[in-house]
Amino acid sequence: MTRTYEVFLKKAGKDEFRHAGALDASDPEMAVTLAREAYVRRGEGDDLWVVDRSHVLVADPDFVRANEDRPHRHNDGSAIAERRRRVRDAEETNP
Amino acid sequence: MPTTLAERTAGPPVGRTWDDMDAFEAFLDAGGIVEAHDDMPEAYRLEVFRFIELHANSELMGGLTERDWIPKAPGLRLKQIFLAKTQDEIGHAHLLYMVAADMGKKSRPEMLDDLFAGRTRFHNVFHYQAVTWADQIAIAYLVDAAAFASQRAVFQNCSYGPYKRVLKRIVAEEGFHMRHGEEMLMRLAEGSEIQHRMFQEALDRWWMPAVQLFGPDSSDDDPLMRWHIKSQRNETLRHAYVQKYVPLLQGYGFTIPDEGLRHDPDAGWLISDIDWSELRATMRNGGPDSRRRIATAAGSHADTAWVREALEAAA
Repeated sequence: MTRTYEVFLKKAGKDEFRHAGALDASDPEMAVTLAREAYVRRGEGDDLWVVDRSHVLVADPDFVRANEDRPHRHNDGSAIAERRRRVRDAEETNP
Repeated sequence: MPTTLAERTAGPPVGRTWDDMDAFEAFLDAGGIVEAHDDMPEAYRLEVFRFIELHANSELMGGLTERDWIPKAPGLRLKQIFLAKTQDEIGHAHLLYMVAADMGKKSRPEMLDDLFAGRTRFHNVFHYQAVTWADQIAIAYLVDAAAFASQRAVFQNCSYGPYKRVLKRIVAEEGFHMRHGEEMLMRLAEGSEIQHRMFQEALDRWWMPAVQLFGPDSSDDDPLMRWHIKSQRNETLRHAYVQKYVPLLQGYGFTIPDEGLRHDPDAGWLISDIDWSELRATMRNGGPDSRRRIATAAGSHADTAWVREALEAAA
């Protein structure tokens, strides 16, 4: 039976795998062949992943968002920048 | 529990929702990109789906037109070019049908059935007959350039993410086609007197359909403009096309088949008023070659049914 597959491409030594698109194919062998012919005609990637759409797990957006509100995982460096400014201002006033 | 992408695509929208059309349009105006699983307004879903289906149909019909010329293309290099271009166009159709199908309105086979039964539309330029090799070059260069310009304008500011991403690939590949196209035009233009005349005759047949491809002037309440699918008005794109191709074709020694063509020092090249009844009839699949084109496409799909069946049987 025809199944839908998702296609991912990656250039050697560069970046991550990226989603390129989808295709319909009758079996895995055809899926890989069609992926090459539909998505890699002009060197768009060196590595090719083809994944059956029913095997891709999708997390619920609300589940993904759970970590958004975690300011302690970041540091914008503003405290240090503030001190640098203080030191510079002091040096300018008393050279 | 995570769902699978297949379940999600088949299921109801699960992504972002908007309270009303105003909120949705504010999101689009702020540069927001809509994804396949978002709970987009139904009017947007339908309008964008129809637009992508029209584009997909046009790529398929264009690819089939191109295919007819593979055996007739003079020389091995041109045959290879036409093979590659045909594969590109059919490939574009495939990408677009996948994106359209994921909008949940129709499956890919349903869209093909509708096209082959004449129930849906495709670009006006694929409703005419290509008589000579020069016609095919006029299509490959002038007509493709018009289609390319309108696709590029959609790509620029497209609010539907999956469509924008496949347009990136399509626009890049159409760029290769343009270069092949102008080279083929140059060879006829600089070839024998017969070749030059042959292209002039093709230009006489194809200039108007190419200019009409952009459609009549956009209305001020065109939803495709408001929803950031089209980024420029039809008349703006048409005018830019005329500014580029009138001098280019004249530079190759050809005459634009428009007696009313004139050059205004401020506005640039201006063409005669267009009678849009021809385009309207053509887009209802009532063009000069519509019936044969649709029958050929349907026949080609039917002729290859055994391949699909064999693949299914072997799987």
